Amino acid sequence: MAETADLIVVGGGIVGCAVVQHCAELLPKGARIVLLDRGPVAGAASASCMGHLMVTPDDAQEYAFSATSVKLWAELEEREGGFDYNPTGALYLADDPADVELFAVLQQQFADHGDRAEILDPRQLRDREPGLAHDLPGALFYRGDGVVLPMMACGAMLRQAQKHNPNVDVRPHTPVTGMLRQGDRMLGVQTANGAIHAEHVVNCCGVWAPELAEMAGQPRLPIVPRAGNLAITGHHVTPIQTQLLEISYIRFAHGAAKVDPTRTDDPGGHAMNMQPQSNGGCLIGSTRQFRGMDRTLNKALLHRSLLRAQRYAPGLAHAPIVRTWVGLRPYSLDKRPLIGPWPPLRGLWIAAGHEGLGITLSPITGRLLAEQITGRPTTIDATPYLPARFLR
Amino acid sequence: MSGERIVDADVGVLGAGPGGMAAAKALAAAGLCVVVLDEGHRAGGQIFRQLPPGAPHAAIAEPPSHAHGHALIDGFGASKVELRSGASVWDAKPGRLWFEQDGASWLLRCKHIVLAPGAYDRCIPFPGWTLPGVLTAGALQVMVRGFGVVPGKRALVVGSGPLLLPTVTALASAGVEVVAALEASSRWRALRALPGVLGNGARLREALWYGRKLLTAGVKLQWGWTVFGVEGDGRVQRATIGKVDADGRPRRETARTIEVDVVGAGFGLVPSIEAGLLLGCASRLLPARGGHCLVVDAEQRTSVAGVYAVGEACGIGGAEVAMAEGELAAAAIVRLARGAPIAAGIARKAARERKAADALLRAFAPLPGLHELAQPETIVCRCEDVTLARAKAAAALHGGSHRAIKIGCRAGMGPCQARICGPSLQALACGRPELPMDLPVAQTPLKAVRSETILNAPEG
Ligand SMILES: Cc1cc2nc3c(=O)[nH]c(=O)nc-3n(C[C@H](O)[C@H](O)[C@H](O)COP(=O)(O)OP(=O)(O)OC[C@H]3O[C@@H](n4cnc5c(N)ncnc54)[C@H](O)[C@@H]3O)c2cc1C
Ligand SMILES: Cc1cc2nc3c(=O)[nH]c(=O)nc-3n(C[C@H](O)[C@H](O)[C@H](O)COP(=O)(O)OP(=O)(O)OC[C@H]3O[C@@H](n4cnc5c(N)ncnc54)[C@H](O)[C@@H]3O)c2cc1C
Repeated sequence: MAETADLIVVGGGIVGCAVVQHCAELLPKGARIVLLDRGPVAGAASASCMGHLMVTPDDAQEYAFSATSVKLWAELEEREGGFDYNPTGALYLADDPADVELFAVLQQQFADHGDRAEILDPRQLRDREPGLAHDLPGALFYRGDGVVLPMMACGAMLRQAQKHNPNVDVRPHTPVTGMLRQGDRMLGVQTANGAIHAEHVVNCCGVWAPELAEMAGQPRLPIVPRAGNLAITGHHVTPIQTQLLEISYIRFAHGAAKVDPTRTDDPGGHAMNMQPQSNGGCLIGSTRQFRGMDRTLNKALLHRSLLRAQRYAPGLAHAPIVRTWVGLRPYSLDKRPLIGPWPPLRGLWIAAGHEGLGITLSPITGRLLAEQITGRPTTIDATPYLPARFLR
Repeated sequence: MSGERIVDADVGVLGAGPGGMAAAKALAAAGLCVVVLDEGHRAGGQIFRQLPPGAPHAAIAEPPSHAHGHALIDGFGASKVELRSGASVWDAKPGRLWFEQDGASWLLRCKHIVLAPGAYDRCIPFPGWTLPGVLTAGALQVMVRGFGVVPGKRALVVGSGPLLLPTVTALASAGVEVVAALEASSRWRALRALPGVLGNGARLREALWYGRKLLTAGVKLQWGWTVFGVEGDGRVQRATIGKVDADGRPRRETARTIEVDVVGAGFGLVPSIEAGLLLGCASRLLPARGGHCLVVDAEQRTSVAGVYAVGEACGIGGAEVAMAEGELAAAAIVRLARGAPIAAGIARKAARERKAADALLRAFAPLPGLHELAQPETIVCRCEDVTLARAKAAAALHGGSHRAIKIGCRAGMGPCQARICGPSLQALACGRPELPMDLPVAQTPLKAVRSETILNAPEG
């Protein structure tokens, strides 16, 4: 006889962990929730990323989405902690006069939502971050952003879940090998260690979400991997205390990809992104390239990110680099994540496709999904993220 | 500017220990152009570590085998080999070794690569092992033999395997009183090594030499004993020692306390295989040889064309093995380059030395029970300050693999990149002492190097 549960979450990255946490809070006490991952919990994108909690003010919807999520992060810190939460704010930098004009543009965007960002002149910038190059033309400082250590945050979310509901069962190293259906409804999943039946199954498989959908006999989801190279320094050498990024990052990371994401000959691009770590290390990014599931280092792109980091923080030239690696962002073809039910198959839910903002957006994603599963009104408008938009 | 920082050679050798030196010397003798890269400041590697020039010379007694080492170092010095000391190899591909030397970024281009990167100390955490005054057997020898530093007055030497004896004699001849020397293996297990030692004249002479040294120093090796913990105010002042069972599990009822100010702990070695992995060489798990080892054929060829591996990287075996394998790898390369056949004696000698070493190591197979020495508050990862309790919590939530533990508590993410804690982490955190470590991940940079070094790396 197959084991039974009320809810199965497949994929233990930051998104799966957030879904488990919020479902544990909103589902009836005692509901059996099982989290399955074929590797370690937080073993894929969520362990090979940066931990910038980034409020994106592009439009009202995006602002509500990201700012609400960042608030939920602060709540998780208060209730659980243990993930190096650090509300450093963010400094947007530029070295190109053309980009300096963007400070005011971004500042206005924040203002449009009743929020505030300050333009710093070169002296104010130096007072705040003395380790930066002295020829920079100022910066935009936004107080609302922060930094977390994503792998530890996954653990904190799961501990919260288990406090709310002791029936939350976390099973790393348990691959899902098949999706069980009966007619137009989900029955459960097949794992390497047997079948588990449940009314609800959530696909939180990041870049592998399309594979899981196919296992359920559904068309491939429109999610493709977008690679990023990172480098990390040794301890106690960071020249910076604030999350830093080039203002052109906004255009680069959140603008439409200029290449066809499904091809693999993308030369890739880079915008400086630097993050202080609680141990005094410094994480250096950030590159973007479509090239399938390839996780080998792109040395040319890595060089560009080290060079640009040095341009802004010259002290980094002598910092020891202890490790480099590549992570894969789950890029959704219309650049919005998929959160909600998959109507053709009752009981199948999706929470995937967060590209470079999955850490930031995981709490709100977990919240929205739990609200939808339990039939509650949603905290913010969830329609832009409904996966059904791809059925049309 | 990076244009000039390219060196060309027929053969690039990584490591100037006995394996690397033996290979380089033989290759140079055959007229090949050889460049040897080593992080250390002089040739010698771990065992024949030489005092830096101008250092006060401590008269350290040396076993008979070291005569080979001195002959090798002299021959190596007299050869045409170009030794680059203080050179950290941080990236590699077949025919290419990138290294940092004196803060500059270099590339060595060569037709063949010989990997002789040696081994790391295996660390078994016990309460207090991170206190100043506790050193690995290797580090102790480096201090005493490499730098002529006398680390304290009263020493405790603990561990398992053939490395204990040189640690004791090095300390004793530096004037340190060795209060106790504890071998965790039982005497009965050690007897299994006897046929291997008796069958190899050099090893027998070595064993007798150490026996006499211990006798003169008044040190008696206690079999089936180990350290349970170390205490002190800011540094080592006392140690608790006791008996262990046949698997190395502490028998707490036998505990007693002694006063010491230095502890040398040597629980064996772990092969250094990262450079091989980065080059794409196949590896396999051989617990009796220290863990994951590079796979080589009967002529020291790895699975990657043009890449050879010798010595500890192919499994712990000691200096004699390393030297014999170094000569064999050189002979195989010379055959390719010059068409000269490999003298039969060379291959036979390497095989014979390896066999004798394997026989010796069988007697000191890892003791899983030693992983029970650590207590919940004992640090298991020094770089990231992770306690056993935290590592266990990470294993419980994130999964029972090395990678899961690392992700869940940062153990192994620090500057040493799990070289110290990695080999024991899984066994410790999963409470399953028999678990071997996962294959380490090899990623550039192999050693921490400056950001500038990566940026200025010559292309090739
Ligand atoms: C270089 C880089 C920098 C980034 N920086 C930031 C940042 O600063 N801020 C930010 O907000 N975001 C950032 N991101 C984005 C963020 O990392 C991702 O959006 C997020 O981690 C995605 O989480 P996920 O849970 O969807 O996917 P993942 O973490 O990849 O999790 C998916 C899980 O599904 C599991 N799985 C797959 N198939 C199966 C199966 N058949 N059975 C069981 N389990 C399965 C996998 O093992 C995996 O653990 C960055 C990403 C990269 C690569
Ligand atoms: C700490 C320690 C102490 C030991 N003490 C004894 C003893 O007293 N008696 C005994 O019989 N055996 C001892 N051994 C074992 C003995 O060292 C080995 O049997 C022997 O040295 C093996 O020779 P090898 O050439 O394989 O490696 P090694 O002698 O270890 O030489 C390897 C060399 O490679 C260099 N290297 C490694 N990686 C890099 C890199 N990426 N870039 C540049 N250089 C690199 C190292 O600096 C080192 O000099 C000891 C081993 C260790 C690790």
